[in-house]
Amino acid sequence: MPIGNTQPSVRPAQAGRTGGVAVTSSARDGGHLRRAGGGLRAERLAPYVLVAPAVLIIVLLRLYPLLLGVNFSFTGDGEQNGTAVGFDNYRELFADPLFRTALSNVGLLVLLLPVAVAIPGLLATFIYLRVPGHRFYRSVYFFPAVLSPVIVGAIFNLLLAFDGPLNAVLGAVGVGPVDWLGDSDIAKFMVVGVHIWATFGMALVVFLAGFATLDAALLDAARVDGASLPQVIRHVIVPSLSRTIQFVFVTTMIGMLTSMFGLLFVMTSGGPEGSTYLPEYYIWIQQGQMNRPALASAASTILFVIMLVVGLLQIKLLERSGKED
Amino acid sequence: MSRLRLGRWLVAIPMSLLALATIYPLLFTANVAMKTRRDYILDRFSVTDALRWENIDTAWNSVGMGRYFVNSLLVVTSSVVLLLLLGSMAGFALSQLRFRGSSALFLGCLAGLFIPFQVIMVPLSRIMADTALIDTYPGLVLVYVAQFLPFTVFLMTSYYRGIPPEIVDAARIDGNTVYGVYRRIMLPLGTPALLSVGILNTLFCWNDVLMALVMMPSADHRTLMIGVTSLRGQYSDNIPTFASGVLIAAIPVLLVYLFLQRQIADGVAAGSTKG
Repeated sequence: MPIGNTQPSVRPAQAGRTGGVAVTSSARDGGHLRRAGGGLRAERLAPYVLVAPAVLIIVLLRLYPLLLGVNFSFTGDGEQNGTAVGFDNYRELFADPLFRTALSNVGLLVLLLPVAVAIPGLLATFIYLRVPGHRFYRSVYFFPAVLSPVIVGAIFNLLLAFDGPLNAVLGAVGVGPVDWLGDSDIAKFMVVGVHIWATFGMALVVFLAGFATLDAALLDAARVDGASLPQVIRHVIVPSLSRTIQFVFVTTMIGMLTSMFGLLFVMTSGGPEGSTYLPEYYIWIQQGQMNRPALASAASTILFVIMLVVGLLQIKLLERSGKED
Repeated sequence: MSRLRLGRWLVAIPMSLLALATIYPLLFTANVAMKTRRDYILDRFSVTDALRWENIDTAWNSVGMGRYFVNSLLVVTSSVVLLLLLGSMAGFALSQLRFRGSSALFLGCLAGLFIPFQVIMVPLSRIMADTALIDTYPGLVLVYVAQFLPFTVFLMTSYYRGIPPEIVDAARIDGNTVYGVYRRIMLPLGTPALLSVGILNTLFCWNDVLMALVMMPSADHRTLMIGVTSLRGQYSDNIPTFASGVLIAAIPVLLVYLFLQRQIADGVAAGSTKG
């Protein structure tokens, strides 16, 4: 039973009252009593005192700025700073080819999402089925997930440079050099590929945590019945891990929307020709480089709406799977 | 059964190749960092003939990675200490104490989980500028704490929920105040969770780019990761120095990973299963 203003806090109050007589007799006791009386209020307030710093920081530096930002997106930049301009910023956003590229790249990420989920899922299945060396694979695969996107980006900058090692290898087997990061049709796939390389270990660990809850008897039964691996995956693993799979879908999508900035910044700076723009990069450019904070706020609001849709979809899916259970 | 066993060995081939693809880029970078510029231009793949520390030395001293390293260390340590303190205080109160408004406050903290930095970047940097906290270490620490506190509170609350309330009751009957219970009982009992949440927060803060970029405009306040981004423009023609800078930034994380891999994985798993 949680404690609070139940028994324990009543007791010091009584002690305070009975001891009230003693105040006159001894100053020392009085000091003790005052502490006990103040202690009662302090005890009642204690939970609030404990929660207050965290709540204040979250409210003032997370929730309040969100409102401020949405509000801000309906005001103007520059000379119009502070005046209401209605939906002008949003109109400008959707007319801006760079922002449209950023949105279509989000679409590309959604299309690639199943791949980004299937790879760690399949690898986790093999590791769970104890392929030879599974322990080694697990620790190796997880390792890039702890590196900063900036470090990952810098390393791949090196590897994918036009005069870099990858092209040197390709040249040796007679394939002409490819401008991995300088060709607008290739660069975005390279950036997404590197992002998946850097993060699949994270999803792998989540999948393995899900496998830990899997009923091993089901797998054994399927095997005794002579089920093949694809059958086991389809009929045993996927249904049993539906919650984990959904969780990975949503976190991978959120990761793609909010943690590729470092890669873009280091690998392509949004280029070539703006082809690797994502909303987060657009926001940063408009705020930091173009001095258009209100326009950036409008883009932020749209990014937030996209994330909200992803989140709500998750809740919907969870409710549906809850009914199935 | 035998067919499955053969399948297992077949699967091992792509899995090993993938493992190689996972490790090789970093090994390549470490190798380049040890080579001379001439060596690298002549042959990109040859294994270095000696462990040369000149490039590392250049990156650390002349490029300023040493200074950025100290900046990062300062900011990350303060942020993580604050996160663990505030997160465990709130987690204890929200899980073990009954008080009016507790579930609303918990939901308020959770709401913070769904607001990424990108969404509040503009207003937050304005708030920081108005309070003269922009481009200061306390300012960046505060931004990190605000960013990772919802997650920390959430994990600490769910961890403390697993502690039987009888322990708290017994400590109260022994005459402990609520604060005494927190300090003498909850903090020590929370050690495993504090450790794994602390490691995750350390990685998050250490690896951050965007927040440091927005909140710390001046060059001598750069964190290590911003230092890495500045290498690209300055040292794109001196690849060994570039690689050395990257290596300096990667080594602390690699060490943490080598020794605390299990705690990191447990933290990620806890975040997913409790969600």
